[in-house]
Amino acid sequence: MKPDGIDELKELIAFLKEHEIAEFDLDRGDLKVRLKFASAIVPPAPAAPAGYDLAALARLIGTTGAPVVPVAAPAAHAAAPPAAAAPAPVEEEKLHIIKSPIVGTFYESPSPGSSAFVSNGDRIEKGQVICIVEAMKLMNEIEADAAGEIVKRLVTNGQPVEYGQPLFAIRTN
Amino acid sequence: MLRKVLIANRGEIALRVISACKELGIATVAVYSEADRNSLHVRFADEAICIGPPRPGDSYLNVPAVISAAEIANVDAIHPGYGLLSENANFAEVCRVSNIKFIGPPPEVTRLMGEKEKARQAMKKAKVPILPGSDGVVADADDALQWAAEVGYPVILKAKAGGGGRGMRIVRSAEELPNLYAAASQEAANAFGNGEMYMEKFIERPRHIEFQILADEHGNVEVLFERECSIQRRHQKLIEEAPSLQVTPKIREHLSSTLKRCLTEIGYQNAGTIEFLMDEDGSIYFIEMNTRIQVEHPVTEAITGIDLVKAQLRIASGERLDQILPKKIEIRGHAIECRINAEHPSKFTPSAGKITVFNLPGGNGVRVDTAQYAEGVVPPYYDSLIAKLIVHGKDREEAVARMQRALGMFVVEGIETSISLHQEIFKDPDFRAGNFDTKFMERFLANRG
Repeated sequence: MKPDGIDELKELIAFLKEHEIAEFDLDRGDLKVRLKFASAIVPPAPAAPAGYDLAALARLIGTTGAPVVPVAAPAAHAAAPPAAAAPAPVEEEKLHIIKSPIVGTFYESPSPGSSAFVSNGDRIEKGQVICIVEAMKLMNEIEADAAGEIVKRLVTNGQPVEYGQPLFAIRTN
Repeated sequence: MLRKVLIANRGEIALRVISACKELGIATVAVYSEADRNSLHVRFADEAICIGPPRPGDSYLNVPAVISAAEIANVDAIHPGYGLLSENANFAEVCRVSNIKFIGPPPEVTRLMGEKEKARQAMKKAKVPILPGSDGVVADADDALQWAAEVGYPVILKAKAGGGGRGMRIVRSAEELPNLYAAASQEAANAFGNGEMYMEKFIERPRHIEFQILADEHGNVEVLFERECSIQRRHQKLIEEAPSLQVTPKIREHLSSTLKRCLTEIGYQNAGTIEFLMDEDGSIYFIEMNTRIQVEHPVTEAITGIDLVKAQLRIASGERLDQILPKKIEIRGHAIECRINAEHPSKFTPSAGKITVFNLPGGNGVRVDTAQYAEGVVPPYYDSLIAKLIVHGKDREEAVARMQRALGMFVVEGIETSISLHQEIFKDPDFRAGNFDTKFMERFLANRG
């Protein structure tokens, strides 16, 4: 990078930020630029592919088309068999597991670039929104089914999750 | 060819579709409810995704959950199997909007066939014979008499607003018509606040005959002969066979060409079945179309050598029927299927639970489609069908003998099954002679006491 290129670089960064570009690579032989923004770990909500009519979809599945739908995590009732996929990392501590109430894609934050709903060590209340699971382009806010302290997040941001898949381990007291 | 398919079903049909995909090199994604975590369709699919709790409405019938699973697994098509979402035009439309191929006809066609009167009219227009009906209400008893004289007795009077058998009378002669008309109309007026009546030709002893069809996405239709499914209990088929003893080559050829023309006009695609009733004189009348693969599809596979589920996948991949089907399609031998249900063989109460012993019959000409296994559990939430036993012989006599020996070698312990009921039916002289109709099971069970 030539010293007189610094202003160009600043401009480039401003441009990329403005358009919420997460990562940028440029290789022109004499010039190599690689930029990765801190929020890059948050993948943007998938853009609707061409021909994907969100309004039609919402009508067909009988929703109002509201982009965010609160969904309570399922209460841990005895009738439900334990999820086979459930890791038991913290069994000895008898932690409460918050499971995904729907199948979809897990997101830690309300939008790309914003901070996570919750982090390890946070105190959470019952009914508090702790993450988003996206299903059929709808961002479903997942609420905690118990109060406590977040001990561990069990899934990674942007990961597909099944129904009943453990999302968080919390210490209730 | 399709790259990856999600199977939106469970049990034997999910496994059947997975098998077809494997043979075509298509990757498979199973979806399952919490009750089916240890099912074979979950085990044998390349990927499996839990989509909800046991109740079908929360899992297998939950459209957003199924579509969401299809999206996270990145499939290019969904096979709906039979039952569940297979004839849900709305679901097919959601698939289309979500850019996922629905393996079946377009939603418009499913919707048309789902509305019985519209389907009847579409068939009538294409000159497919339909059960004669009065086309709207009859004005009075005199009008009814005139109509009945035209189509011949017996006829059935039905309440326009009706249902559940009320306001319904079977009329066998002109003499008894006026009184029965008055009684039915009065009953309908009392029950539904509307005494208007319509009429249909009534068949005393109908046989259930259905034709298997395949249609590609280029306007080609092929009819793969008929199946006879008259052995039913409460409209649930128990035994199916192909070909039917009552369908002559002339009827078969005539109906095939009519159906080909009709379905081409409708724009039908993929596999489907057209159901008919046949009267005592061999006249045949359209009743409805099923826009999906049928439970009893293996008997057609046995006599034609055509893999119908693979054909469905290839049609959905855009192939033409002449690429999929052999040049010459003919009936070879005779095939029979018994539906083995997890239910008490005489009380017919469902029998869920753990299977302790499960020995499948095998050998020449025997096929079993099942997703059950020893130590496996039949959950109480779903259909009671646990296995389909299909035999193929050089003629009906050999097929019957083969079925009897196969039923004897089919051992299931831990739950009740309908195997012993099938064994009794196969000893019945009328069944063995092919003398039956859809009332057969009523008579059979009454005689059994």
